[in-house]
Amino acid sequence: MNELELRLEELGRELAFPPTPELAPAVIERLRRKPFAWRRVGVAVALALVALAAAFAVPQARTALLDFFHLGGATVIRVDTLPRATERSHAAGLGFPVTLQEAQRRTGVRLLLPPGERPSRAYVLGDALVTVVLKADGKPVRLSEFGSFGPGSLQKLVAQEANVEAARVNGAQALWIQGPHAFEYFGRNGFHRAPVREHGNVLLWLNGDLTLRLEGPLTKAQALELARRTQ
Amino acid sequence: MVDRPLDEAGLVERARGGDLDAWETIVRTHQGLAFRTAYLLAGNAADAEEAAQDGFVKAYRALGHFRRGAELRPWLLRIVANEARNRRRSAVRRERLALRAALEVRPGDAVPSPEAALLAGEQRERLLVAVERLPDDQRDAIACRYLLGLTEAETAAALGIRAGTVKSRLSRALARLRETLEEGGA
Repeated sequence: MNELELRLEELGRELAFPPTPELAPAVIERLRRKPFAWRRVGVAVALALVALAAAFAVPQARTALLDFFHLGGATVIRVDTLPRATERSHAAGLGFPVTLQEAQRRTGVRLLLPPGERPSRAYVLGDALVTVVLKADGKPVRLSEFGSFGPGSLQKLVAQEANVEAARVNGAQALWIQGPHAFEYFGRNGFHRAPVREHGNVLLWLNGDLTLRLEGPLTKAQALELARRTQ
Repeated sequence: MVDRPLDEAGLVERARGGDLDAWETIVRTHQGLAFRTAYLLAGNAADAEEAAQDGFVKAYRALGHFRRGAELRPWLLRIVANEARNRRRSAVRRERLALRAALEVRPGDAVPSPEAALLAGEQRERLLVAVERLPDDQRDAIACRYLLGLTEAETAAALGIRAGTVKSRLSRALARLRETLEEGGA
């Protein structure tokens, strides 16, 4: 170290620093206070409002909001009149077809499938919803999966006469929907899939961070059995 | 049986598990240097206190990202220094650095003559003014490395720059200081 450097070190020792305040009590007090989860509340409220707005935007449904269920990233709204919605075939309107690997890469969803099932393609809707078409008991069914980033991203409008029941899949919450309903999807980045009319029965359930949806002409027992095996 | 005090790695592990008493011990251990670092970088005591406090709160919340086995002090200094620099950008003016009573005699020192003490005091004052006039990036490097006595690695961490950049900034700053002092006859 040269002379100037030594003089600078000496200068440091001669500096009149203000006395160090006692920081620990304030730091610990701030850490004991739990931050209020404004963000989580904000997202939930915003998505619920979007869901309500969507339901009420349909003239026939304006006075007919009858019930409201949440399950992970899905919201089920019972209305007395379903909105006008397009009907679709099993693969139409599901999104963009890609390989399973590509679907997982695009959405970040680690796809859960029943044992022995390895469909050649998956469909990606928006930025987060992946759907595969499977055969169960000889019938085509659609299995959709997405990360639960908030309630209301996937929305089901169900008719008054439809049956909505609570159920369990491997101990996790589930909803069984039987009867006419429409499916609508709000993606993370403003993506919106307009309502599509569906006729099959639907089982919605949770698995970790994923919300899963099985749709097709299955009985409740068949759907629950398939869901149990989807790991 | 008497409990042995935990080493810093043990305290960090406990804090990582949510033990605020362990974090309090860490804050008390490092608050002096953290505050002085923040003071030199932010330029005033109020901003320094706020920066140091915010730094310790943010560091606790970021403990999950702290690499096990790494040294805690440079990591803490980096967070606190970052808070301090952010405040300096919005600060209206920097408080002028001051020297302790220049004629204070430390135990064991020979008592200087009044003339020698006055000369030494004037030289320190001139050096301090020269440091204050350096461009911010060079002044910060000098402040961390010499005035605070940080290592080069700690200076790099505190300033968020590479060790090589610390060396080059110090080299430029020392050259400029020499020039200024020679012009002033110090």
